[in-house]
Amino acid sequence: MSEQTLTIRDATCTFCGCVCDDMHLTVDVNAHKITKAENACVLGRAWFKEHGIEERPFALINGREASTDEAIEAAAQILAQARFPIIYGLSDTTCEAQRQAVAIADMIGGNIDTTTSVCHGPSGMAFQAVGESTATLGEIRNRADLLVFWGGNPAESHPRLFTRYAVTAKGMYVPNGKKDRTVVLVDVRRTQSAAVADIFIQVKPRRDFEVLWALRALVKGHSVDPSIEAVTGVSLATLEDLANRMKSCRFGALMFGMGLTMTRGRHFNSGALLALASDLNAYTHFVAKPVRGHGNVTGADNVVSWQTGFPFGVNLGRGYPRFNPGEFTTVDVLGRREADAAMVIAADPGANFPQAAIDHLRSIPVIVLDPKPTHTSQLAKVAITTATYGISVGGTVYRMDDVPLTLRPALPSPYPSDEQVLTRIKQRVSELLGGNRVPELAPDSLAA
Amino acid sequence: MSLTLTLHTQPEVPLEAEAIIPERFEGMSAARIAATRLLYGNRGAALGDFFHVEGQADGELRVAGDCARIKRLGSAMSRGRLVIEGNVGMHLGAAMSGGEILVEGDAGDWVGVEMLGGRIVVKGNAGHLVGSAIRGGRVGVRGGEIIVHGSAGNEIGSSMRRGLIAVGGDAGDFTGVNMLAGTVVVLGRLGWRTGAGMKRGSIISTNPAEMLPTFSFACAYRPVALRLVLTHLRGLGLPVSDEQIAGRYRRWSGDAVEMNRGEVLLPDR
Repeated sequence: MSEQTLTIRDATCTFCGCVCDDMHLTVDVNAHKITKAENACVLGRAWFKEHGIEERPFALINGREASTDEAIEAAAQILAQARFPIIYGLSDTTCEAQRQAVAIADMIGGNIDTTTSVCHGPSGMAFQAVGESTATLGEIRNRADLLVFWGGNPAESHPRLFTRYAVTAKGMYVPNGKKDRTVVLVDVRRTQSAAVADIFIQVKPRRDFEVLWALRALVKGHSVDPSIEAVTGVSLATLEDLANRMKSCRFGALMFGMGLTMTRGRHFNSGALLALASDLNAYTHFVAKPVRGHGNVTGADNVVSWQTGFPFGVNLGRGYPRFNPGEFTTVDVLGRREADAAMVIAADPGANFPQAAIDHLRSIPVIVLDPKPTHTSQLAKVAITTATYGISVGGTVYRMDDVPLTLRPALPSPYPSDEQVLTRIKQRVSELLGGNRVPELAPDSLAA
Repeated sequence: MSLTLTLHTQPEVPLEAEAIIPERFEGMSAARIAATRLLYGNRGAALGDFFHVEGQADGELRVAGDCARIKRLGSAMSRGRLVIEGNVGMHLGAAMSGGEILVEGDAGDWVGVEMLGGRIVVKGNAGHLVGSAIRGGRVGVRGGEIIVHGSAGNEIGSSMRRGLIAVGGDAGDFTGVNMLAGTVVVLGRLGWRTGAGMKRGSIISTNPAEMLPTFSFACAYRPVALRLVLTHLRGLGLPVSDEQIAGRYRRWSGDAVEMNRGEVLLPDR
């Protein structure tokens, strides 16, 4: 039996925000499977190797099988008619598809939001309010001698972050890898990531802001009352030690996760950490980076930003972009039962949103683009099967440090890409609306 | 008889109604008022599609019905009186510079965002970000008064520059965050992280509260200015006791990571 195999070198894994671009894939062409993913972590191996034969219908309309063409027509009709349509998701698709989604939102006067709004959205707000002292993962790999991981568990969520970029990786100015670095982990519980940490600091749940604020005070030379321990669970001596290490390192990096952004304080937690990194630049070089989850969620932030000026939670109902998390973020819009149609691309709010939001999704026409059946596709009026990015679709994705990388797909797919489907929906909506929708308001009716 | 708009059709998606301010309707016929354009989702709609119009504009505009889905009522108004007989949605009185708004029910988030002058009174509860800056803005309220008889959410008075915000009930977290100046009074309980990042300004509560590690105790005293503020609030109908007016307060200075010229006054007991 002659097994026909194909090797793809330097393919890109889109499972998590590390977007490792050194995958060597072996493809069994006859079996239509990726049999080996060299260099991949446990998550990446599963991502590549468990991609099975694709036998889903091309599309479902009201649960009945339909062609992609019919589904595109149905989707365009829904979007063109809606008064408050929302577009959501976009973190697991290419930048090329994200561009089309923003163009549709602009055309229909809709709301565009990404999964950022339920993960690092608060960090996005903090960037706007505080700013960001930033670096690429390459700089962190080559220079960082102090790493502080805060509110995250990369050992399990981003396994190669430690080995490829941050902890054990050997770099130009840290030639001995981990021996040349000090690793601090701050979290509310001891996770698997604590194994690599030289110092583990356990904070009482929801008290990260107080710890960060006390560190800011110490870094600025103010005294902090020892009662901080009773509030945060962290002793003043521990905080003073950490503040001194931060001030005296050569290149420090704070890498933070959703333990910070999705707990009490949210954007102020991220903002406090970003402000701490800024403050430290009075003494040494210090950077802060959010550790991003989905493969191209960083691309979603970039694309929505360069097209609308804002990273997520953007409404185009007036014909120009308005940014207001809380007002235009999808969980809030659905929870208040405001949207009258939704298009969800490569995300599953039906599985992870609050019940009130899911209940509202059930009551409005929903369009879903996804390679796999999801909770959301099951409640959708129009569900379109698309090819998986990174495995069957090429294009551009952004790593968590805003570095764009090219995808090298390994397997052909019978399904169209998100970009192809969205481009055709956009063209059809444009025909239905005769161009971009602009609200017909008399100029004098709007307040100055 | 004042001009009354009575909601007859509940909007299915948010209705943005910054056009509904008393001064706009002065001298207008009911038909012309009903033709006023509002933003309904992503399209325009007529005011009359949602409201019956009765009476004559005489400086007072009354809005009846549950307006919880109606945003931006009273935006940028500069004179007159707007009475909302039920609940109201987000951005009530955004950037208003004068006149008065009275809400008999509850108000949504962003009440009086970036207001410049005038007064907003909410008889019920208000949402988050009462008297705040819009996201990305550096300066919130620059003048005027916001009086909430019930409770309010997080980030009250965020980045405020001048003016008075008073909450009769409880406040959420980050009251007076990043304040530049001005006064926030909370008669109920404060949440966590009061005054985080404040440069100047006064935050007063009549209940004890937890302070951030960057605030330091200065002294206990009977501030004269506080008597004036609390007496004024009592005059506006908030339940302020003699004991609160005459009482001793502990002054906490902060925020040390900023200019440290702000103060949080808490009862000395």
